[in-house]
Amino acid sequence: MNQNKNAIFKSKTIPYLYLLPTSLVLIIFIYYPTIKTFILAFYRSNFILGTRKYIGIENFKNLFTGALAPGFIQTCIQTLVFAFFVVVLGLGISMFLAVLTNEKIKGAKYYRLLLIWPFALSPAVAGTVFSFMFNPEVGVINIFLNAVFNIKPGWLTNPYLAFSVAVMAAVWKNLGYNIVFYIAAFQNISKDPLEAAEMDGASKFSKFIHILFPLLSPTSFFLLFTNITYSLFDSFAIIDVLTKGGPMGQPPFMDNVGLTTTLMYKIFLDGFGGSSNMGFAAAETFVLMIIVMIIAMFQFGILGRRVNYDV
Amino acid sequence: MMKKFVIALLMLSLSVTAVFAQGSNESGSSVIQENAPIEISFWHIFGDARGQWIEDRVEEFNSMQDEYHVTQENKGSYRDTLQASLLAYRQGSAPTLVHVAEAGSQAAYDSGIFMPISDIGSFDTSDYIEPVLNYYTINNKVNSIPFNSSSPVLYINTDMLVKAGYDKNWTPKTFSDVITSLEKAQAAGVTDAKYTDAIHAWFFEELVAEQGGYIYNNGNGRDARATEALLGGEAGLNVAKFYKDLSDNNLLAWTGKVEDWGGSDNIFTNEKAMYHITSTGDINVISAGAEGKFNLNVGMLPIADNSKRNGTVIGGGSIWLTKGHSQEEMEGARDFILYMTNTENMVSWHKLSGYYPVRKSSVELLDNEGWFDTNSLQTVAFKQLLDTVPNKATAGALGGTVYDHRTYIEEALVKIINGQSVDVAMDEAIKLTNAKIKEYNSNF
Repeated sequence: MNQNKNAIFKSKTIPYLYLLPTSLVLIIFIYYPTIKTFILAFYRSNFILGTRKYIGIENFKNLFTGALAPGFIQTCIQTLVFAFFVVVLGLGISMFLAVLTNEKIKGAKYYRLLLIWPFALSPAVAGTVFSFMFNPEVGVINIFLNAVFNIKPGWLTNPYLAFSVAVMAAVWKNLGYNIVFYIAAFQNISKDPLEAAEMDGASKFSKFIHILFPLLSPTSFFLLFTNITYSLFDSFAIIDVLTKGGPMGQPPFMDNVGLTTTLMYKIFLDGFGGSSNMGFAAAETFVLMIIVMIIAMFQFGILGRRVNYDV
Repeated sequence: MMKKFVIALLMLSLSVTAVFAQGSNESGSSVIQENAPIEISFWHIFGDARGQWIEDRVEEFNSMQDEYHVTQENKGSYRDTLQASLLAYRQGSAPTLVHVAEAGSQAAYDSGIFMPISDIGSFDTSDYIEPVLNYYTINNKVNSIPFNSSSPVLYINTDMLVKAGYDKNWTPKTFSDVITSLEKAQAAGVTDAKYTDAIHAWFFEELVAEQGGYIYNNGNGRDARATEALLGGEAGLNVAKFYKDLSDNNLLAWTGKVEDWGGSDNIFTNEKAMYHITSTGDINVISAGAEGKFNLNVGMLPIADNSKRNGTVIGGGSIWLTKGHSQEEMEGARDFILYMTNTENMVSWHKLSGYYPVRKSSVELLDNEGWFDTNSLQTVAFKQLLDTVPNKATAGALGGTVYDHRTYIEEALVKIINGQSVDVAMDEAIKLTNAKIKEYNSNF
């Protein structure tokens, strides 16, 4: 008999049996739909008419050439820009806030609690709150700005401002999630390196850069990926409630599709809106999947090596 | 010992819940007794007081007779209701009656899950108001029964109007009237004197129809399936120029979101605009919002200068009948619709919601009551409808890509508001709509 000292299981088939439930769930809910979507991209399928016709790579061709192409390309670029800002601002601000609440100040426990709360809101609620606050005519922000500075910026009517408001809403909504993880990470950081640094006369800033930041890198790495996923997919509800794809920008490059239309939102519009070609939406979904795969490969390949796992 | 007890308890609760996880038994009882009433289901989009009104009529109908039993359900938006019906039909459990938006008529017709309501057998449609029934008549057959019909009207803040030097009952007739009166109000110090609407392409379509313009070729999609987008042609450019003039002179107020019904209502009821175009079906909402704040008047839609008034296209929705029902079910559905949209009920529906009472006899009843003398606000929309010249422009555009062209028109309007040229923006909208039409038509 093989006496493999590392083996936990005595039989060869038991591990596969243990994996079976999870594998089934993954296959039914993730792999099978993915394959079906990929196949759908080669068809013209109208949901209302119930039609489904094989058209080869025409959907993919229409993504990059033809009348609908400039809109698609603009959407891809906007999505990447949106993701960049949401991730960088989201992680940056949450790390900063988490560090602050880690200081020994009165009521730190309550600050931590209050910072986590927005996470419990649904994205639609967050979007609604922001859309009321930033309403160019009757929102509180403009009433305040008008009274004090006599200006009334078109927060949701100006394409660039609307984009900023969408980013702000998405960042704010996710702060709670990021802060929870950072606070938890802080609990695992031993006080020794910090005390040693203080005795050596290190400033708060260099303590952060040289000690806290590297020790937080596993959490940051994890949050980077979840935030990217969040900005690409979950921001849908916020955009739908806040700007419905957003005001149109200026020609020549930014007037093909609303400025706050991300790829996820465009997939919804093309698949379920109007005359709907689900195949076209499936082709866009496939492109989105490729984008996510590239980002993931980049993140795990290059940044993965820089993560510091010792405590 | 404790551990084993806990595990046993968990297994027990797991198996007990598994016993209950059996799914619904409703589909199992397909054994219909001889005397059970025939089931008829109605899916619609109304919540609020209008949903309650429907519920009341259903209860009345059920208590009045025992041959049929009607159930009604609010399925959400027009889009959600249509999608739910499609899915249900394809799974073999379609509702009998479905509430579909007017713009979804071609798509509903093409989906193949509905049958023309006039095919049931004797269905007397002579009492329904002609322009209204016109919209839902495709290939000379009445496909669906109009239920909630509306058209847009111009709401006016008369306090601002008076400050500008006009009589409080004056209403602007043309686009120039609108702009001139706004400028006069601004000169008189009313900085909030602006025009607002939801930036919804439905208003664009209406303003084009008033001028007799077509949205699609082939007689607005009514002579044959539409193959090309016109988006109103010259008439469309006039409407786009109107928005441009307003915006260039800083006379336009909007929320930044297109199709923002609530947001634009808010702008008007919070006295940040002098004029507001929206559906007559919202008359109660707007009146309640204006209550105690300012005086409200309602006028007909302003038309392009130098154009003849053609009238308006009806908006709202109608009730369609799904295929695959027995003759008895269809007759029951017909009886229910005839009851729900009968003379007295359409009068109460109109008073409650502001939607038109779609029957001529209801109009007569209201007139005899003196309703049109006392409630001038509701009657404006009426006069606008009854004066409508029945032609292909006012019959409304028929096409499977209505929701698409609305998106593109709205995008064009936003670009124009932000400074782009009218011709360039409208050309782009036509190009994109043509691409969608081509895709839609290649399904056939």
